Amino acid sequence: MSVKTLASAGTATKRPTPFKRRVNWAAELARLPLYLWALVVLIPFWWMIIAAFKTVPELMKNPPTFFPQDPSLDSFYDPTLGNKDSVEGVFQRWDEVAGGFLRFAFNSFWITVTVTVISLLIASLAAYMLTKTAAPGRRIVFVTIISSMMIPWQVSLIPNYLLTSDLGMTDSYLGYIIPGLAKAFVVFFLVQYLRSIPDDLVHAARVDGASEWRIWWQIILPLLRPALAAMAIFVALGEWNNFLWPLIIIRTDELFNLPMALSSLNNSIVSSPGSMGVAMAASLLATLPTVVFFFLFQKHFIKGIALSGIKA
Amino acid sequence: MTLKQTADPERAAAPGPAPAPRRGRPSHRLQRYGPAYAMLLPFALLFIVFLIFPLGRSFYYSLTDFNGIKAPEFVGFQNFSELIVNDDRFHKAIWNTVKYVLGSVILTIALGLVLAIAFKTTSLRDRVLRTIFFLPSVSAGVGVILVWRWIFMVDSWGLGNTVVRFFGGENRAWLAEPGVSIPILTTMAVWGGAGYAMVLFVAGINAIPDELYEQASIDGASKARQFWHITLPLLRPVLVFVVITSTIGAFQIFEPVYLLWRRSASIVGGPLDSALTIVPYLYDMGFNRFQLGYASAIAWVLFLIIFLVTLVQLRVTKTFKEFDR
Repeated sequence: MSVKTLASAGTATKRPTPFKRRVNWAAELARLPLYLWALVVLIPFWWMIIAAFKTVPELMKNPPTFFPQDPSLDSFYDPTLGNKDSVEGVFQRWDEVAGGFLRFAFNSFWITVTVTVISLLIASLAAYMLTKTAAPGRRIVFVTIISSMMIPWQVSLIPNYLLTSDLGMTDSYLGYIIPGLAKAFVVFFLVQYLRSIPDDLVHAARVDGASEWRIWWQIILPLLRPALAAMAIFVALGEWNNFLWPLIIIRTDELFNLPMALSSLNNSIVSSPGSMGVAMAASLLATLPTVVFFFLFQKHFIKGIALSGIKA
Repeated sequence: MTLKQTADPERAAAPGPAPAPRRGRPSHRLQRYGPAYAMLLPFALLFIVFLIFPLGRSFYYSLTDFNGIKAPEFVGFQNFSELIVNDDRFHKAIWNTVKYVLGSVILTIALGLVLAIAFKTTSLRDRVLRTIFFLPSVSAGVGVILVWRWIFMVDSWGLGNTVVRFFGGENRAWLAEPGVSIPILTTMAVWGGAGYAMVLFVAGINAIPDELYEQASIDGASKARQFWHITLPLLRPVLVFVVITSTIGAFQIFEPVYLLWRRSASIVGGPLDSALTIVPYLYDMGFNRFQLGYASAIAWVLFLIIFLVTLVQLRVTKTFKEFDR
C-alpha cells in the first residue's frame, strides 16, 4: 500500500451513506456514558480557564462556582498589589527576571523552534543518505539507529548531565538544545517515508549533474513535507513540554522554560490558596499555544499519528 | 501496514538504489560518497556524542560507586545486587510502576477502542467529539498536572471533594492517602491517553474495506461476531503498536509523580512512597542524593524491564497470530 492511500486512510474517509439513516436509539443509549466521558475530559480545562479569572475569595468558595461570578484579571495582573486580598499576578511575579513570565514564554518558544528546525534538518539529511545513496556502511548505521530506539532515554540521562556540565553548557540555551538534537525516531520515520518514494527522480537529477546537496534541498525536502510536518508536531510538542531535562541542568530563573516556571508556582500552591488562581492563569497561558497550534494543524496532527501507527 | 517489516532489521535496512561497484581505491570511494557521508555527519556526530557514548558511560557508572565529584570507584555488580536484593524502596517503586502500567495501559486501550468504534465516521458530531477526546494529548504538560493537583486537594473547595460530597461522601485528603495514589495516576493517564489511542484505532478501523462487513452481513454474522472476526484481527498491527508504545511510555512516568505530591525539593514519591515509580526514584537517587552510580544501575534495570516486557508482548501477539490461522 502506498503512503498516499495510507495517509488518507488516516482521517476517516468512509463516505456517508447516501440515504438518511434512521436514528438507532439503542446505540445512542449505549453511547451515553461516552458523552459523559467527553464532559469529564473537558472539565479540567474548564476548571483551569474559570479559575484563572476568579478572585481570591471566590477561589475558596465552598461549593466552588462553575462560572466566575465576578470575572477579574487579578491573577494575571493585579493593579491593587500590596493591599489586603491582593495577589501577585503572573506578570508581576519574578520581578528579578527581566520580562518575568514573558521571558519564560520566549525561552520556551525559542528553544522549541530551534530544536524542531535543526533536528528535522539533520534527520532528513541522514535519512536521504541512508535511503537514496549507495554509500557503504549505511545498513549498519541504520540498524544502530533503530536499535538505539529500544533504549529508554533515561539511561543516558546521567552521563548527558555530566557531559553537559563538563562542556560548561549547564544553565545555557546550548545545554537545552544540543543534547536533544539527534532524534533516532525522526530518522527512522523519515527513512520509512522516503523508501516509498521511487528513486527515479533522484537518478534523473544525478544524471543531470545535480549535487547531492541540491537534490536533498530541491527534491527530497519538498517530497518529505507531509512526513516533516508530522514529525515537527511531535518534536515541537515534546520540546514545549520538556521538563525533566531543564529541571536537571537549569539553575537560574532567567533560563526557565514554561514548565519550569509552572513547577515553581506548583510549590507555592500548598502554602497559599490565593496563588492557585495565579497557577491556573499561568497554566492557561502555557497550554493555550498548544491548543491553538492543534486547531491550526489538526489535519497534520491526526495524519501524523495515524501514519506513525501504520508505518511502524 | 505491517509490523513484520520493521521487526526484521535485515529487511528494514536501506534497500536504496542498486549497489554501486565496490571496487576502486578507498580514496575514490571517499570522493564518490564524500557528500553522502558529509550529509550523515551532523546527525551521526550528535548521535554518537549524546547517545551512544553516554550509553557506554552509563553502563560503566552502573558498575561503580560514584557521587559526581570523586572519581568513580569500581564495585562490579554490587549496585545491581543491592537494588534487586536489598533495596525495599526500589521494590516498592517497581511494584507501583507495574500496577500503574497494567491499569493505565489496559484502561486506555479499552476506552480508546470503544471511543473509536462509537465515533469513527466523518459526521460533524463524531469529528467534534474526537477533537474533544484528543485535546488532553495535545496539552499534556505541567499546566494540566497543576489542575489535577487542585482537583485532588484536601480542602473542601477542591473539585474532587465537591464531587464526593455531591454523592454523599466525606471530604478526603486524596494526596495524603497511600491507597489512592496509583488510582490517581492511572486516572490521569487514561484521561490523557485514551484520545490518542482512539485516533490510531480510528485510522486502523477505517482502513478495513467495507466489503468485508457487507459480505459478513449477507452471511448473517452478528455485529459482535463481525467485531471479533473482522475488526479485531485486522486491527491487530495497530493494536500491537498501541499496546507496546503505551506500555513503554507508562514505564517512564515522571512528571505527575514529581509535581502532584511535591512539598519540598528532597521528597519524591508521595505518602509512604505510595506514588514512587521507577524514574522518579532514579531522579531522587541521582539528583537529590548524588548517587550517580546507583542511579545509572536503576536506569539499566528500567531498560531491562521494558525490553523484556516488549519481547513478551511481541511473543504473545505472534502466538495469537498463529492461533488464528
